[in-house]
Amino acid sequence: MLRVDHLTKHYGDTVAVDDLSFDVAPGVVTGFLGPNGSGKSTTMRIMLGLDRPTKGRTSIDGHAYRDFPAPLREVGAQLDAKSVHPGRSARNHLRALATSNAIPLTRVDEVLEFAGIASVADKKVGGFSLGMSQRLGIAAAILGDPGVLLFDEPVNGLDPEGIRWIREFFATLAHEGRTVFVSSHLMSEMALTADQIIVIGRGRFIAQGSVDDLTRTSAGTVFVASADDARLAQRLRDAGASVAVSERGLDVGKVPSSAIGEIALADGIALNELTPQRASLEEVFMELTADSIEYGSARAAS
Amino acid sequence: MNGVTLASVTRSEWIKFRSVRSTLMGVIVTTVLTVGLGALIATAVRANWSQMNPIRKLAFDPVSASLGGTLFAQFAVGVIGTLFITSEYSSGSIRTTFAAVPRRGLVVVGKLLVLVGSLFVVTEVACVATFLLGQSIFSGVVPTASLGSSAVLRSVLLGGVYLTLLAVLGLAFGLILRQSAASISAFTSLLLVIPIILFLLPQSWQNAATKFMPSALGHSMMSTNAPENFFGAWTATALLVVYVIVAFSVGVVLLLRRDA
Ligand SMILES: Nc1ncnc2c1ncn2[C@@H]1O[C@H](COP(=O)(O)OP(=O)(O)OP(=O)(O)O)[C@@H](O)[C@H]1O
Ligand SMILES: [Mg+2]
Repeated sequence: MLRVDHLTKHYGDTVAVDDLSFDVAPGVVTGFLGPNGSGKSTTMRIMLGLDRPTKGRTSIDGHAYRDFPAPLREVGAQLDAKSVHPGRSARNHLRALATSNAIPLTRVDEVLEFAGIASVADKKVGGFSLGMSQRLGIAAAILGDPGVLLFDEPVNGLDPEGIRWIREFFATLAHEGRTVFVSSHLMSEMALTADQIIVIGRGRFIAQGSVDDLTRTSAGTVFVASADDARLAQRLRDAGASVAVSERGLDVGKVPSSAIGEIALADGIALNELTPQRASLEEVFMELTADSIEYGSARAAS
Repeated sequence: MNGVTLASVTRSEWIKFRSVRSTLMGVIVTTVLTVGLGALIATAVRANWSQMNPIRKLAFDPVSASLGGTLFAQFAVGVIGTLFITSEYSSGSIRTTFAAVPRRGLVVVGKLLVLVGSLFVVTEVACVATFLLGQSIFSGVVPTASLGSSAVLRSVLLGGVYLTLLAVLGLAFGLILRQSAASISAFTSLLLVIPIILFLLPQSWQNAATKFMPSALGHSMMSTNAPENFFGAWTATALLVVYVIVAFSVGVVLLLRRDA
């Protein structure tokens, strides 16, 4: 279990993370969503002991990151695709990492092979494309066969083939019972990749749930078409629902579809259609983070 | 299987140190400057010996004259030490490093051991080589010295100690400033610019202050007859060690406090 507990981080006057709390469970892929500058990378750096929190803490299975005798065997992370010395070969980069955590060097060849960069293993990393760098970052993350994996914007720079590969890779990791925590500002990508989603904005917690939960709870209207829309609309309003009337039917909010069915039955109105409307994750995300985005652009404009 | 230990981190740092070309280039430049320029200076001394004024001839020190290349090599070792840490900041690999080894003190001590271990060997070999080459160039025309004399042996070996300490000073500057250009400028200023500024001071201040400069300490360490107002070889060595410890400690304290 990856836990963020009342985490706050200030950089001078900037509040990057603001009293953020959530848990990330093992066995599923958890997406970490937020607009640019919402504090995703900062939270991940704090999880790895790289930045010191102003308040609060993060823990992994109850332990502080610093307390692991061999961190790479507990937590694998890919923060920035370019966090490798450009003059060093991929193989030497991984060897240095493995050596520091007493991971056998045979593992280096395995992860190079797995990440599909074995053929360029002895080339300098400086000449790598963004996609190759991402793959090297993934190789480094799984080097110690860790139970917890953090990826910050891992799909950046990957081609469609690479994106599909990484999606399957995350699913496999989660299926093996590992904790997989993946940040992104691309909802569409997260909808396909993640089982669970945590949304933050301006460093604050906004929502957590499965993709299903989030898309259901948000817009949450039900489309209804019936034999007598006008009468049904009146009955629904009486029951406290919000109703928007259109030519095709009614858009009903604030009451669940089961209640709509019961009201129609009680009044003997035949229903032709009763469909819960789902917002796309994209819409939900825009709605949830509207404040933070407005804040962001207002600040950029001023 | 053990986890992260000083031994594992030091081995890891050794892999990093030798797996980038800048280290190899730095070592080559250090050797070429020490030995090559040393030989060039010795050749110039030999050529001009007959015209040299008798007082300077009396004060001539064949040891420091053959170690003149270290004046240039000190910048090369400083750059090697600086880049060993600043290249991690400029590339962002420092985060990979500290995520793998959250006890940052181990990383710094590992780097220190690798830097001292490798450069001590390189610079000692280079100093002995330039000394021997210099004496063979002098021989027959200019007075020579022999490693059989303990004062001579001390001066030659302290040449390697001086260069190694300056490499560590470069590492300390890198730890404090974290940027290659800023650290190298600061290091260069300490060795070159501050002595020039001292020249502008009244003579009495100059006499008092000059001997404290790292380059003056180096001169004391590498001479058998340093100027009277300079420190003796061992005092100079001790003082330089103190400088390095102070700068390094500041660097480590900052490193432990700052975000990576
Ligand atoms: N080292 C730092 N020094 C100063 N401010 C910082 C630092 N790191 C982050 N910030 C600020 O903190 C806020 C959160 O940044 P962070 O990089 O965590 O966001 P993010 O969600 O990862 O954004 P993105 O989607 O653009 O990667 C931003 O306003 C950023 O400018
Ligand atoms: Mg980010």
